[in-house]
This record gives sequence, structure tokens and C-alpha cells, in this order.
Amino acid sequence: MFKLEKSIANWLKSFRKHPAYDEASYLEMELHLRDHIEDLIHKGYTEQEAFEKAVAEFGDVPAVAKEEYSTQTRNRTMGRILYSTLFKNYYKTSLRSMMRNPLSSFINVVGLAAAIGICIFTYSFAQWTYRTDQFHEHKNEVFLTTFFANREGKIQQNGRSPVPLAKRLQEDFPQIDDVCRVQNTHAVVKYNDHIFHERITFADPSYLSLFTFPLRSGAKASLEDKNSVILSDRLAKKYFGEKDPIGQNILIKFSDASSKTFKVTGVAEDFPPSISFNFNFLIHFENIEFGDAAYDKNDWSAFVDATFIHMSDTTGLNQIAKQMDEYRILQNESKKDWQVESFAFEPLATLHKRSADIRNAINISLEDGYASIIYLTFVGIFMLVLACFNYINISIVSAAKRLKEIGIRKTIGANRKIIIIQFLSENLVATSLALGLGVILGVYVFIPWFESLFYFDMGFKWMDLTLWIYLPLVLLFTALASGLYPAFYISKFPVTGILKGSVKFGKKNPLTRFILGFQLILSCMFVTCAIMFTQNAQYLANRSWGYNEDQALYVEVPDASGFRQLSASLEQETDVITIAGSSHHLGKSSLSTIVKLPTQDHEVEQIAVDANYFAALGIDIVQGRGFQDHSEADRNVIVVNEQFVKKILGGKPIDALVKIDSARFTVAGVVKDFHNHSFETEVAPTFFRLADPSEYRYLSIKVKDGTQNSMYQSLQKHWITHFPETPFQGGYQEDVWGMYFVEIGIHGKVWRGIAMIAILLAGLGLYGLVTLNVTGRIREFSIRKVLGANIRSLARNITKQYIMLFVISLGIGSVLSYYLISFIFDSAYTYHMPVGIGGVSLAVVTLVSVLLLVVSVQLSRVSKANPVEGLQME
Amino acid sequence: MISKNLTAASTKPIILGILKQGNSYGYLIIKKIKELSGGKMEYSDGMLYPVLHRLEKDGLIKSNWTMDGGTRPRKYYEITALGKEELVTEQAQWQQVNAVLNTLWDVKPSTT
Repeated sequence: MFKLEKSIANWLKSFRKHPAYDEASYLEMELHLRDHIEDLIHKGYTEQEAFEKAVAEFGDVPAVAKEEYSTQTRNRTMGRILYSTLFKNYYKTSLRSMMRNPLSSFINVVGLAAAIGICIFTYSFAQWTYRTDQFHEHKNEVFLTTFFANREGKIQQNGRSPVPLAKRLQEDFPQIDDVCRVQNTHAVVKYNDHIFHERITFADPSYLSLFTFPLRSGAKASLEDKNSVILSDRLAKKYFGEKDPIGQNILIKFSDASSKTFKVTGVAEDFPPSISFNFNFLIHFENIEFGDAAYDKNDWSAFVDATFIHMSDTTGLNQIAKQMDEYRILQNESKKDWQVESFAFEPLATLHKRSADIRNAINISLEDGYASIIYLTFVGIFMLVLACFNYINISIVSAAKRLKEIGIRKTIGANRKIIIIQFLSENLVATSLALGLGVILGVYVFIPWFESLFYFDMGFKWMDLTLWIYLPLVLLFTALASGLYPAFYISKFPVTGILKGSVKFGKKNPLTRFILGFQLILSCMFVTCAIMFTQNAQYLANRSWGYNEDQALYVEVPDASGFRQLSASLEQETDVITIAGSSHHLGKSSLSTIVKLPTQDHEVEQIAVDANYFAALGIDIVQGRGFQDHSEADRNVIVVNEQFVKKILGGKPIDALVKIDSARFTVAGVVKDFHNHSFETEVAPTFFRLADPSEYRYLSIKVKDGTQNSMYQSLQKHWITHFPETPFQGGYQEDVWGMYFVEIGIHGKVWRGIAMIAILLAGLGLYGLVTLNVTGRIREFSIRKVLGANIRSLARNITKQYIMLFVISLGIGSVLSYYLISFIFDSAYTYHMPVGIGGVSLAVVTLVSVLLLVVSVQLSRVSKANPVEGLQME
Repeated sequence: MISKNLTAASTKPIILGILKQGNSYGYLIIKKIKELSGGKMEYSDGMLYPVLHRLEKDGLIKSNWTMDGGTRPRKYYEITALGKEELVTEQAQWQQVNAVLNTLWDVKPSTT
């Protein structure tokens, strides 16, 4: 007896031997045969006859298969595969299936976008750092002259150079094309009613050809004229607004006794955003004699801030450094306490990286920037990993909901490859969306936020080739990292298993657990950092400075007579408790000095003050005495701090003899250690000596508590009556560290930002998992409810599977966090709060609350749901 | 009976021509060709499918699985814009061949 179905099945089997056919093609062949047979039966053929005729007319299967195969292998280029993956139909089905699961899609896209945003931000920050000074055309031909000197047994590189060095280099070495001396100073600049303290740069005329600072108006050659000044763009706007400054006269007051009028002959274009040194007011170097009366161009013991050389052919550079011995001897003979060992040249291109190790380098160091890039890269990668893990987890778990779809796709002809491609293209659509959103987040949220925190311009540009290489790489990485595993995992299940319902995955997948655990550990670390940095900012703000900065005000005075005038009028103020004069001032200035001991020389800080200074600043004397007013005898005594005793004197400090320069001093007293500089620097050995009244440059007052604000105003009023032509430079002693506390606060802000994103990512991931879990078990919960389960037992049921995971991951996470934060604090801060378990515990509590929140949201969903509906489903 | 080579060469314009009249699926396309040629073009039915798939790969036609009215699913083929252009080129070529042969055999060219 002929069996039609069996014959058709057998006939179809003959296709299976050929690689050209996938499930869809079988189906097409089968349908063809069935259509044909049906037609023939209608015409009166028997089943068997119809089958035989249809098969005969179909033709030779191997030949057809061969033809089909050659069709498929043709045109199999990468481009075609990409085309078929990306554009053909999949993006439509991808978008559709994304819309079908809006929650998981939202979690995936937002999570990835946040992580990609951080990557874009990191990229932009790295670009900003790497670009520093790279706009100088001659960056590889211009060198800073540096010297190595032995201080306290340590060889240290120094960026300054002896005054006559530039001239000698140019005379002695024809291979040097040009030299340029640079010296910065502060002076008062006056134009009409504008009177400000400004930074003035003395430089040789070669400055504008060595460095690429193009002028937007005026001529570079005008710097040859000693009466010319070239302004930066910013300063031109500050003084002249929209008016053309060229040809205007400004007065520069170097000191009360010395001032000079300059004509503006040039304005520089706006400086590039990544720059390690620039100028505000650029004038001819020889004007330095107005700024420094003692200037002697032949004095080897005097220094200028920087001497740059330019060599278009740099091959002879090392030779020059070796032949500079003559200068070394000249210098060492004239400055005996500071023996130079050798000279070296630092290229301009890398100066911003090196200058942290060069003392007194003229430019700012970008070393912190390079360290930050490393931190940010780690953060960026971790965030991406967190987001990819969310994606993997959610894909796997939500595939449980899509099992039927996969099964049906497989039956109507999709083979494993097609399922993989489908999932990968869904993933590609999601990651591309995330990339778009991430770029927007990075460029319009993260970068401007960071720029506003640190008051700088990162100079982000869209027109940047490396950016367009970087972005696709980020996309590729995210797409592969998040998509590959789920695609392969989901596609491997057999159709029969899926349709019979015997396949159950996702819920007990060990990988999902591992991933969630890993996410928790990472989040725990980020959250701990955020909490600890915030607490530390608080701790440092409350840390004692070692003296009473709270009640002190200070002002810079032009000279001794200025000090006398101001202090005479301040004495009338009833709220002033003490008035003190000094030539240096805590937090503002001190003099680096060498103390000679028989065994070793020490570098210490020197502060010259009057007898009232300790009282005015609230510095505590712990041993011996302070200075006595105008006592001639006290000219030979010093008061030292505890560090000085500990590191240099040891034992009994009082009456110890100390040799400084060529003079001998007796230690009269010891004061408690105080923070002269911010908490970034360790307390240095410091001594006070009695200042001669002619040296006074600062006036400090101690005021009654509560009158700080009113006294600050009266101080300014007194200032204006006495010195209407000089800007007021002073303020609350609390503010002498400038931006220090602001910056510490920023650390907290940045970490809080990062932690927020980390919590968001982990929270979203957790939320997605719990939601899917609950949705998958809605029938079970409904039955439980019908059978009388209360909220508590349902809650226990939902949380049960996460509790162990939480305990283990948070255990590991808190230990890691503890060590991580200790490491970061030790490397970032000189003084920081003790690292306790407080911050870590707070982080754990935060994360547990996130879990509870997520579970309670789902719990309320389950408890509100009508069990009837839950059971009606399917 | 038309030779195998000629049959093979003309399959492409024939399929495109049929699909231009409306969407169709494999079995129907074959049936239509057989009807049109009055059995003079001998096909093995199976050979149609590699041609269809190749046309699809080249972007001249596209396919869609549809379920119409509870019967069995069908893979419908539809001509694309590119396919219509290709059909115009094919038509021109066949007419040229036709013209050359007509001239050779000194028969008045047909106006159709």
C-alpha cells in the first residue's frame, strides 16, 4: 500500500545530504511537491501516480542541489554578508522584538549608553591631555635648558638656568639657531580705570618664532621694540572689550619705584585648549631691569625662569650638553651652596609630561592628567563590562520568554546560523542605538559637566579622525562582548526540546549568577569610592590647620611705609585684636633655605615675621618662647616647628645652634606643627626668624570672632584710602589655599557621578532579572496566592535565590573595596581620613537597599495582581 | 521542442516577466511557464528554484513567507525596481537577437 506522507518524507530526505539546503528551502520544496500532487489528484491521478509524476517532473535532486549550491557560493563576499545581516530584514525584526520587550530594551540601551558615554568622555580627556603643547610647530626642535643639582643627597633636575647662559650658548654653539629667555613676574597693570595684578612675561623676541602663538592682529616683529607689549586674547578682551587695543598705551607698575608705559602692538589668537604654558602680557626681555633692580646680565649666581634653545638640526644636541662643563664651573664658583652636576635639554614636545619631575619648570605638569587617563580607562572598561553583563543576562533570561519564537523560526526553516545572525543583529541594533545615545550623553552631558567642575575647556571636536576610528571600535567591542555569548547560547537548543517544553534555561544558568555577582562586586567598589571620597572631603575640611586660620585676615602691602600707614589706621578698629607684619606669610610665601649641619645639609622653609605674628595667626608655642618686640638680641634667634626638631635637631631643641648661610642662630622656641601649604604637601621642617620692618610685605590681623566679614570690608576700605592705585590683594586666611578644597570636593563629585551610574547599571540589571524571573513564575505565584500564601512568603520566595549571591558578592566586594580605597587614598592624598569599615558598610547597605527596592516593586506587582488573570494566561 | 540551452537562457526574462504581472510562488510560476509555452519548453521543475534564489540574491526579486487564509504557508516572490530595469534590458537584448535572425532569414520583422 502506497503511503503518500512517507514517500514525501523520504523524497525530502534526499535533500538533506546537500549542504545547499536550509530549513526554509526544504519547506519550499515540500510545498512545491504537495501543490503539484494536489493538482494532479484533482485531475484524476491516484496518489501514487501523482507522487511519481510530480517527482519525475521535479527532476534530478542532486543536479538541482548542485545548481542551488553554486548559486549560494557565488557572491559570498563580506559586503554581502554584512548587507544581509545589517540591512536586509533583520533591522526590522530587531526593532520589532525590541519594542516587544520595552523594559529589557530600555535597560540594555540606557546601560550601554551610559557606559559608552563614559568611554567617549575618557577618550576626549585623553585627547586633551595628549594634545598638550603639540600645536607648537617646532615642538621637536625647541628644548628647555635644565640642570641637575645635588640637594640633600638627592640629584634633582631644575628648570631654571643661570642668567648669562643663554648668551653664552648662542655665542659658543653655531648649531643653535636661536635662544630665548623667559621670566614671569607679577605687576600691577593700569589702563584708564582698569587696575589689576597681572602676570607679566619677559621674553626675547625669538619667543614668537620658537613657539606657535599666532597673532590675530599686530606684528610679531614688534616684540623687538622694548616699548611694545603683546597681549593674549583673553587679556585684550578684559582691558579693551571689543575695542581694538593696537596702539593703546598701558602702564605696568613693577614696583612702587619702577613703572613703564608700553604700547600694545599685537594681540595673540585665542590659545588652544591643551596648553602647559602661555603669556598674558609679553614684553621684551630687557625690560627685566625695571622689574628687578638687582638684575645683572653677567651674574652666574642669578637665575631666569627658563632658557629655551631652538635647533633645526637636533643631531648635535647631546654634544652640546657635554661641552657645557665650562658653564658648570662658572656657575658653581659663583653659587657655592648649590652645586650643579650637569646640564640637560628637555624637548618641548614632552615637557608637559616631564615637568612634574623638574623643579621650577616654567610650565604646568600634566602628569596628573596621564594618571587620570588610566583611572578613567579602568572605570570606562568596568562600566562597559557592567553594561554588557546586563545585556547578556537579560538576553539569556528573556530568551526564556522567546523560546516559542525560536522554536517556530527553527521549524519554518531557520538553521542555527540564522538564529545567531538574528540575535547578533538585534544586538547590533541595540548597541548602535546605545552608541548614538552614549555619544550624546558623553558630549553633551559628561564632558560639559566635567569641564564646569574644573573650569577648563577640553576642546572636544567632531572633526577628529581618531574619534571616528575609536567609535566603531567601541561599537564592535560592545556588540561582540554583549552579543556573542547569548546568540550562541540561545541558538543551540533543539527544536524538539523547545516545542515539547523540556528546555528550561536562564533561571538556573550559573553564568547569570556569576555575572550578577561580578556586577555587585564592581558596584560595591564604585559606591565605596564615592562614599569615601565624599567623607574624606568632609574630613579634610574639618582637619585642623595647626593654627587659628579662622580668625585671621591678611593683605599684601607694597613696602614698610605702606605697612605702617595701614596698621596705624587698623589700630583704630576695635574689632582688631592683633596686627602683625611679615615678609612671608603662611599659605602664601616662604623661602626655601639650606640649613647646614656638620653631617648633612637640609632644605627647610624660612618665614620671616614680627613678634606679633604667632599671636595673630594663633600659632601655638609648645616649648621655649616666641620673639620679643624689636629686640636686637632676637635677630640671632629662630623659632622652629616640631618637624624641624624631629628631622634635624633631635633631642633638646632649645638653645641648639643652627647655621644658616653664613650666620649662626640659636633656637629660642618650638611651635606646634602647622600646615603652611595645603594638605597635599607634607608639613616641612620650618623656622621663623625676626623680619626687619623694611622687609614687611604682608600685614595679618586677628579679629574678634564673628567680625570676620565686617573686618574684611573695613580692611578693603582702609586699603582704598591709602593705595587707590594698587589693587587689593588679600582676604580671609581660610582662603589662602585657593582652589584646594574645591578640588577635594570635586573628587567626591566625580566619584559620586561614577557610582550613580554603577548603581544605576547594577540596579537596572537586577531589576531586569527579578522582573523576568517573576514574570516567568507568574502562574506559580498565582497558584501560591490562591492556596493562601501571604506577602511574606512570596517575598521570601522571590529573594531566596538572590540572598546567597548577595552575601557572597558583597563579602568579596567589601574586602576588595577596602583595599582599593586604602590604595587610592595613600597614592592620592598626603593626609586623609583613616580608612575604616564605615564607608564600606555604607556601600553594602546602599546596595542591599537597591535589592530590597527592586524586590518590593515586583512584590507589590505580584500582590496586587489578580491570581485569576495569572492563571488564565496561556 | 526548444533546446535546453535556449530554455535556460530565457528563464530569467520569463520569470521576471511573470512576476511583473503580479506576485507569485514557485509552483505557480512553473505552472504558468508550462502553460505559456504549451509544453514546448521542457523544464525540470526543480531547476526553477536555484534560478529564483539566484535572482533573489542579485536583488532582482524579493521573497516573503505568508500564510493566506489558514492554508499552507507560501513563499511569495515579488519583482523589485532593479528587477524591472533588468527586464527592460533583457527585452531589448532579445529583440535585437530576434531582429538579427529575422534579417538573416529575410523575413519581415514583426511589429510586436
